[in-house]
Amino acid sequence: MNTNHGMSGTKADRRLPSGKISLVRRIWKARQAYYFLIPAFAALFLFKYGPFVVAIFKSFYQWNGANINRFIGFDNFARMLQDQSLHESLRNIVILTSGALVANLTFPLIAALLVYHIGKKRLAEIARVLFIIPLVVPGIVLIHIWSWIYASRGGVLNELLKLIGLESWTHSWLGESATVIWALVFYNFPWIGGIFFLIYLAGFMSISPELFEAGEIDGMNRWNRFWRLELPMIRSQIKLVVMMTLIMQIQNFELPLILTGGGPGDASLTPALHLYNRAFLHNEMGYASAIGVMLFLIILCITVVNFKLLKSTDKID
Amino acid sequence: MRKQNGLISAIHYGVMIILLVLTLFPFYMTLVNSLKNRRDEIRNFWGLPRVFQWDNYSDAAVFLWPFIVNSLIVTGSIVAGVLVISTMAAYSFSRFQFPGKEFLFFLIIMLYMIPGFLLLVPQFIFIKNMGLLNTYLGQIFPPMALGATMATLLVREFFNNIPNSLFEAAQIEGAGEFLIFFKVAVPLSYPIISVVAIWNTITGWNNYIWPLVITSGDAVKPVILALGRIPGSIEQGLGLQLAGYVIASLPLILLFIFATRTFITGLTSGSVKG
Repeated sequence: MNTNHGMSGTKADRRLPSGKISLVRRIWKARQAYYFLIPAFAALFLFKYGPFVVAIFKSFYQWNGANINRFIGFDNFARMLQDQSLHESLRNIVILTSGALVANLTFPLIAALLVYHIGKKRLAEIARVLFIIPLVVPGIVLIHIWSWIYASRGGVLNELLKLIGLESWTHSWLGESATVIWALVFYNFPWIGGIFFLIYLAGFMSISPELFEAGEIDGMNRWNRFWRLELPMIRSQIKLVVMMTLIMQIQNFELPLILTGGGPGDASLTPALHLYNRAFLHNEMGYASAIGVMLFLIILCITVVNFKLLKSTDKID
Repeated sequence: MRKQNGLISAIHYGVMIILLVLTLFPFYMTLVNSLKNRRDEIRNFWGLPRVFQWDNYSDAAVFLWPFIVNSLIVTGSIVAGVLVISTMAAYSFSRFQFPGKEFLFFLIIMLYMIPGFLLLVPQFIFIKNMGLLNTYLGQIFPPMALGATMATLLVREFFNNIPNSLFEAAQIEGAGEFLIFFKVAVPLSYPIISVVAIWNTITGWNNYIWPLVITSGDAVKPVILALGRIPGSIEQGLGLQLAGYVIASLPLILLFIFATRTFITGLTSGSVKG
């Protein structure tokens, strides 16, 4: 630590303990800076980093949150290898994440492109507002509405199928293990009313108009303009969407909890919901912490890889 | 050439209208059916209500009102706490050079990599040990800590763009740092403060898991946890629950209508940073 502090470079600093003295003095001089930080870091340590350290510790314990609290080494992690429900949930999350990637990279992008190319400004503004209405409605309300859409009796989807004469296609969408995971994938179809639509739109709007003029001179048609100009210009937005989708999906929890409770069986269980069930239905707080630590490591890997990728492409630019 | 352009623009608007209809259809269904009684709902599922069943709304509102008050208290306190904490921290990071600055800033950024549910269990135990289960404070503190962290980054960026001469002028007049903070920095930063306030209102109103874990019984539950179980007659059917969904969405919808631009900025910067 104290090698860095000889900044002032006066003669007094050459004496050995001076590094420490000057550090204390520098801290004292800047004490007002720390006063302003006290509330933020008090909150941060009490409610975030404190629990974070506890979670990592307790992942090595058998712990029910109260009287049972026993160090068991890596047993929790070994148990994960045997946990069929966890494996099922990991399989589900791969499907959900792939589905979400396809969803978030298609319709929201198309919608943003269409809105971006509306000639009349006022009309574009109205379209944008209409597209983000699902974002304004509280997320839990949206999930409740979709729970009604998928309901087997009186549900919107089944009624719609009956209306167009496809009664044989009706399902208990959330109650059958064959359909439930796809019901979750198609939740909020056509997947536009989300933050990603806004991100793409912001990306399109920041493309410089000169590029379009240059493209026009070259006689680019719309198809080429999209693939060779617009799409490459929003690739940082696309990366952001991919990254956010991955992280959000690993945390996917509320959707299956409210729609299905993870069922039938474990057919729509996600790892985060599994964690919740273990902790709060079975009081296995230590095991739940271990699952949390594993998911944290996955998110950490994604973030690091993403960071590396971002850096390398920045260099190319 | 002209004909082709007409065709393309017809496709353009056609596709967009289809996507809009698909996006908005669930809300149309929710709205029209929230005003129907059970018989109307079965016979006339797709259309406008034949008889407007306003009872659905008044009954749902009576049941939900205490929960809405809870949500207002919790969300309001989260927003207030976030604003105080984050503007102070941002001021420090933006205005001062001090030992450990980089490390402390790193701790704030690092928080984004720690998923919420990893902290669910230890936070729950901590709140339980402090005797804050089933209280407003228990619902306020952890979300406030998270919101303040994100907000610090946003506000700091904003403070960085305030010309230094403004601060220096105040300093020459002999104002202390707290005075400069209140009299110069805060008044100048209303645009970013409103963005932070709206973003935290949205997340605060939406909080689900945390109150689900630490509240039992109805005394302090937020409205979002009370949905889908509004007691009513069989005759009212689903309409009552749907009316409840609409009522629980109203505060955010009103906020959106009256502050569309700030709302969108808040959503975008909030979810991208968060």
